[in-house]
Amino acid sequence: MPHERHIMGLFKNEEHVISAVEALKTSPYEFIRVNTPIPSHKIMQALNLKKSKVGWFTLCGGIIGFFSGFGLAAFTATRWDLIVSGKPIMAIIPFVIVGFEATILFAVFGNVIGLLTQMRMPNSGWLKYYDPRCSGEHFGVLATCEAHQKDGLEDFFRKRGAEVKSFKSSPKELI
Amino acid sequence: MTQLTYAKIDQTILDTLTPPKWTYWGILVLLFIGVLIGAACWTYQIFVGIGVGGQNNPVAWGTYLINFVFWVGIAHSGTLISAILHLFRAGWRNPIARAAETMTVFAVCVAGLFPFIHLGRVWQVYYMLPIPNQRLLWPNFLSPLMFDVIAISTYLTVSSLFWYTGMLPDLAAVRDRSTGTRHKIFTFLSFGWTGAHEQWRHFTRGYLFFAALATPLVISVHSVVSWDFALGIVPGWHTTIFAPYFVAGAIHSGLAMVLTLMIPLRKLFKYEDIITMEVLQNVAKTIVLTGLIVGLAYGTEYFLAWYSHNTVEMEQFRWRALGDYRWGFYFMVLCNTLAPLLFLFKKIRTTIISLFIISLIINFGMWWERFVIIVGGVAHGFAPHAWGLYRPTMIEFGIMFGTFCLFFFLFMLFAKHLPSVSMTEMKETLEGGHDHAA
Repeated sequence: MPHERHIMGLFKNEEHVISAVEALKTSPYEFIRVNTPIPSHKIMQALNLKKSKVGWFTLCGGIIGFFSGFGLAAFTATRWDLIVSGKPIMAIIPFVIVGFEATILFAVFGNVIGLLTQMRMPNSGWLKYYDPRCSGEHFGVLATCEAHQKDGLEDFFRKRGAEVKSFKSSPKELI
Repeated sequence: MTQLTYAKIDQTILDTLTPPKWTYWGILVLLFIGVLIGAACWTYQIFVGIGVGGQNNPVAWGTYLINFVFWVGIAHSGTLISAILHLFRAGWRNPIARAAETMTVFAVCVAGLFPFIHLGRVWQVYYMLPIPNQRLLWPNFLSPLMFDVIAISTYLTVSSLFWYTGMLPDLAAVRDRSTGTRHKIFTFLSFGWTGAHEQWRHFTRGYLFFAALATPLVISVHSVVSWDFALGIVPGWHTTIFAPYFVAGAIHSGLAMVLTLMIPLRKLFKYEDIITMEVLQNVAKTIVLTGLIVGLAYGTEYFLAWYSHNTVEMEQFRWRALGDYRWGFYFMVLCNTLAPLLFLFKKIRTTIISLFIISLIINFGMWWERFVIIVGGVAHGFAPHAWGLYRPTMIEFGIMFGTFCLFFFLFMLFAKHLPSVSMTEMKETLEGGHDHAA
């Protein structure tokens, strides 16, 4: 919508952010996101976010890793199946060590893939409607409104102690 | 001391990234010359042969393997600080976690060079890769050396990814406060991080999993390194306590290296308000604990040799204390178990110079511990007619010098080009209150 305006309220206190987010829910404005310099559990609770699914990627990676590591060790052992001193060709304990290391390695790969896909990164689109102060000491609350509601939204943030930043309209959508 | 705020944390840490003075470049050039000396010695060894080193029969494992174990050990405390203390919610680790993680990555890189150097014919390293050779033979995964290849490469990969992931918010902070080429570089490096709640939701979860995975990994890696020795039937090596003994020793030496690096960094970068004396004290207290564990391991080895009534084992440990390398043994006992006890005195652990000197003493002692274990075992084995001695050559010293220079060269490059303290974690510390921050 070309007439839509994006406005960010920049707070220095996370309690004010929480009250602004709560108030936005019952306002005519649409809440988009919060940008914070630290992971704030209070803000996440206020936003009522679902649990991340990254762990499933990690778990899948770990399972694949264990079987890959154990399987590699077992496969290579069976390529030269000459029994020496009665020792078994398939030696479980040493192969579990290889399996364990591969479990960790692949679980971490899964974790990284999970992070990148869930966070949708690398992506410069995140930098749209972003204020660099949000990586410093400010907590930015981004909301949208119709062009005629711009002053109302700005007042909404100012009343709650925020500095206000208005972004120019853009036809491109947010992430 | 001034009260920390978000702005002051940013200012202090970003100030360290300003263009350095000529003294910085001067030190960097000197370290690079040291790296070249090491590279020249290694090149000479490759062309002339492994015989230019002091390794012989029976002492086939010399300084290359000693340095390998030493650097892997140094790497361990980085993960202890960044992962294990993160899981325990120890807020005092926040100011030193980044530098300790970086130390881990560079120490593993340096450690990883030594198996290549020790190979002699380095081009045959592919024998360790899981591919069949010309006669369709595969590597033997029953060998602890193959465990080690997997463990060290996993550790390097995991610690590098952990380090970079944790740094993303700080890379974005540098991006947001830079211009020109630096801005472009950090825009690329930060992957579009903005600290949006959706990013933090996944990031905090993923970081927790990283820590949870790195914790068993760090314990397994040095256990695997210890099995390089313990799975051989060499007197002095073939013992079940090696895994916990090596892990404790690794963390002990790594914590000492943390102090060795942090104290100059704190002074040069004016980090006194961030890396407080309380933080250094906590590292010192942990060193007392690890020193006691290491001391217990030294004592247990002697007890087991006596209690077993195994003649060869008893002779090995008699010779360790009274034989040709007795000085190494005295160094390791004095430096690793007795010197750290000085940290029990508050006056000593709250004085910068004594913290620094004792950290150097522990580093020295831990190097000698590896010398005593590795060389001592094979030098004085089962058969008296096969006993022998070992002395490193100038080529080995040159390579060792070069790798030490490489480690400090990489660390200096890091300290001036990337945030050496995590801004995000420091801000989290403030939110947790000063009691949590310690």
